[in-house]
Amino acid sequence: MRATTLLAAVIFVIAACRRPQDQPDGAPSPPPPPPPGVRVVDMIPASLSGETWQDAEPFLTTFASNPNILAASAFTPNPGGPASTTAPIYVSDDSGNTWSLRNTLPSNVQTADITHAGGESPALYATILSTPSIALKDLETNDVLSATAMTQDATRPNVDQPFVRASRAASTDRLYVGINDFAAPNGRTATVDVSLNGGATFTSRRIESRNTLGQNGPSIRPAVAQNNMVYVAYFGWRSNAGDTITTDIVVARDDNGATGTTPFRDLRDPSDNQPGRLVATGRTIVFSNAPTLGQERIGSTLSLAVDAARSDTVYIAWADRVGSGDIQTVHVRRSLDRGATWSNDLRMLPNTTNPSLAVADDGTVGLLYQQLTGTGSASRWVNRFEQSRDGFATHQDLVLATVPASTPALQFLPYLGDYDMLLTRGTEFLGIFSAANTPDPANFPSGVLFQRRVNQATHQLLDGSGSPVAVSIDPFFFSVPVMP
Amino acid sequence: MRTRSLIVPIVLISLAVPLSAQLSRAALVRQSDIIFAGTVTRAGVVRVDQVFEKPSAVSLMKGDSVTVLPARAGSPGSPPLNPGMQATFYTTGWIYGRWITVREVGHEAIGPQLATVAGTGTAQQDLVAKARQQVNDADLKARIQAAAMVVVGRVEQLRPMEYGPRPTGAPARPRRFTEPNWQEAIIHVDEGLKGATAGERVVVRFPGSRDVAFVGTPRFAAGQEGTFLLQKDTATGSPLALMAGQPVQAYTALHRLDVLSKQDAQHVRTLMRGP
Repeated sequence: MRATTLLAAVIFVIAACRRPQDQPDGAPSPPPPPPPGVRVVDMIPASLSGETWQDAEPFLTTFASNPNILAASAFTPNPGGPASTTAPIYVSDDSGNTWSLRNTLPSNVQTADITHAGGESPALYATILSTPSIALKDLETNDVLSATAMTQDATRPNVDQPFVRASRAASTDRLYVGINDFAAPNGRTATVDVSLNGGATFTSRRIESRNTLGQNGPSIRPAVAQNNMVYVAYFGWRSNAGDTITTDIVVARDDNGATGTTPFRDLRDPSDNQPGRLVATGRTIVFSNAPTLGQERIGSTLSLAVDAARSDTVYIAWADRVGSGDIQTVHVRRSLDRGATWSNDLRMLPNTTNPSLAVADDGTVGLLYQQLTGTGSASRWVNRFEQSRDGFATHQDLVLATVPASTPALQFLPYLGDYDMLLTRGTEFLGIFSAANTPDPANFPSGVLFQRRVNQATHQLLDGSGSPVAVSIDPFFFSVPVMP
Repeated sequence: MRTRSLIVPIVLISLAVPLSAQLSRAALVRQSDIIFAGTVTRAGVVRVDQVFEKPSAVSLMKGDSVTVLPARAGSPGSPPLNPGMQATFYTTGWIYGRWITVREVGHEAIGPQLATVAGTGTAQQDLVAKARQQVNDADLKARIQAAAMVVVGRVEQLRPMEYGPRPTGAPARPRRFTEPNWQEAIIHVDEGLKGATAGERVVVRFPGSRDVAFVGTPRFAAGQEGTFLLQKDTATGSPLALMAGQPVQAYTALHRLDVLSKQDAQHVRTLMRGP
């Protein structure tokens, strides 16, 4: 009897997750569908229509074993409140059309950082800074759709901004976790924790080969090609005057999946023959943990993407200050020879943060970013997606969202996130960003679907009872076809 | 399928509950964040008759259907959920999608005592509220007992924490967004409830960072009045602070229950006097 009851409940849950989305009783009809092929979905589910949290710093994972399944995260708290001992993750089993939250992360209420990557089965590997300790936890589950807590593979304190990528080799998932490890010797903190056995064990690989001001920048970004060539981008912080940092932008490479005893030494700079190619040197970064770009902080903006099928091609994007009047500008560059030489700036985007790059199967590069336009109360965060097949000599541009930058007021930092995420799968780009959630169709020129209860005619968010809900920051999933 | 019950407002008349059962109810409440009265409609599905507690973000109201993962067999107070059964369900949110799926912590069957009356409050609701108050008081009392100092006072001044000179060869403080950026609040003690006397000044450290890692941690403002539950500082790695040039013990108040309003002082006094 007990087993039957449990089975029925589980079947009901699965069925509930797979039902098509529609509006609660009495709510206005949904808006017209978005333009063909483009989807933008507010990920807050209907059962959390009353939520007003700042769901910043989103991240997205796909699963090769099942294209319908997606996992995502943000600084979304456990709805259960401050006594909760778990934090939620978003999952979709219908390719991103609908999402639900499951409290499966071992962190009180929410995480302080989280990234993840997919493995087989569909396994999910997550790296988090857990609260309240802010310790690193490497987590995994064999089934991302499971609602049971993820298991902990490893943990340690005193690291920052874990960023995990995964690849498959010899029937085993390999994990590459970029972290800024303050336990590293000599202030060379840029590190990749490598697991060649699906998270069973990790080895910390130090990738900075030069002197630093005492540490590297927070962002360490691995990218893995199908042939197991692993690139890593990082900021080589060389000197500082207060919070104004002079930095190099560096790319290291390992040609054998970081399986050797001295990995990440396959790409050297001709200037000093040290591992790590200097893509740019002597750049200025302002490390500001305060509202600086609109209500957003700045200080460590970096993205790296390799053409998975053609590992000679790799793209990098970073932000630095260009001239004294600039807050920060994003630069995009490309290498066609495995990082040996790099282009000049293919894109320069002022007042921009959170670039995220991905390369589609046919070589088309996608670029997601968030740009602050206008000033004062007229300022807006414009969330754009560009794709190009000729190194951005020409590109297709799409505005996913353009929302007021001063509303809502920040609850904490980061306001939108220190990163967002762009991926590719087949003939699609898939991505995630955080933005203000006013349900005004004018804010979403490519269309938008809300799961949570809204009235798009009156531009109001509604709770379950139909009462108005304050505007907040929500995570938005999107997909865009690779341009023909 | 979102069902809306046509049942008129109801009162859930509770059974006469012995003290031991009340303690059990408090234990159920402690582990629950969604508590509602409902009727089992089919295996694993409960129609909500009245919501007693839920997080503000959660959409849940009378007439909704909730999927309930039953508590494990043998759990106290958790007989099987049979269709037609009416009970108060103590649960935690499990999956939030179009609908809510909850894990049952336990339930109290209310059976034939279900009655139809007007009004918003019910006896069962009162019992749940009293149990919640009992839990909250127990939590606060534990914080009071663990505190090195409990004071009613006013924040006179804020200042950055002085770390002192860095020893030769010691690494610099890291630049990372999760760095706490410790600040110090100088609190003038108006009334010492535990471990302090009126007129003292106490140094209380708190993270000044607005990073997400500290979003639930109390922060102080100049002029702020309150009732403060203080722990000796074991968080910053430097337990002593300077006051008028002299080293003094530094304190922290990092838990959400450690910073209360000035008006809460009376409640704190009552809890301190209690058994």
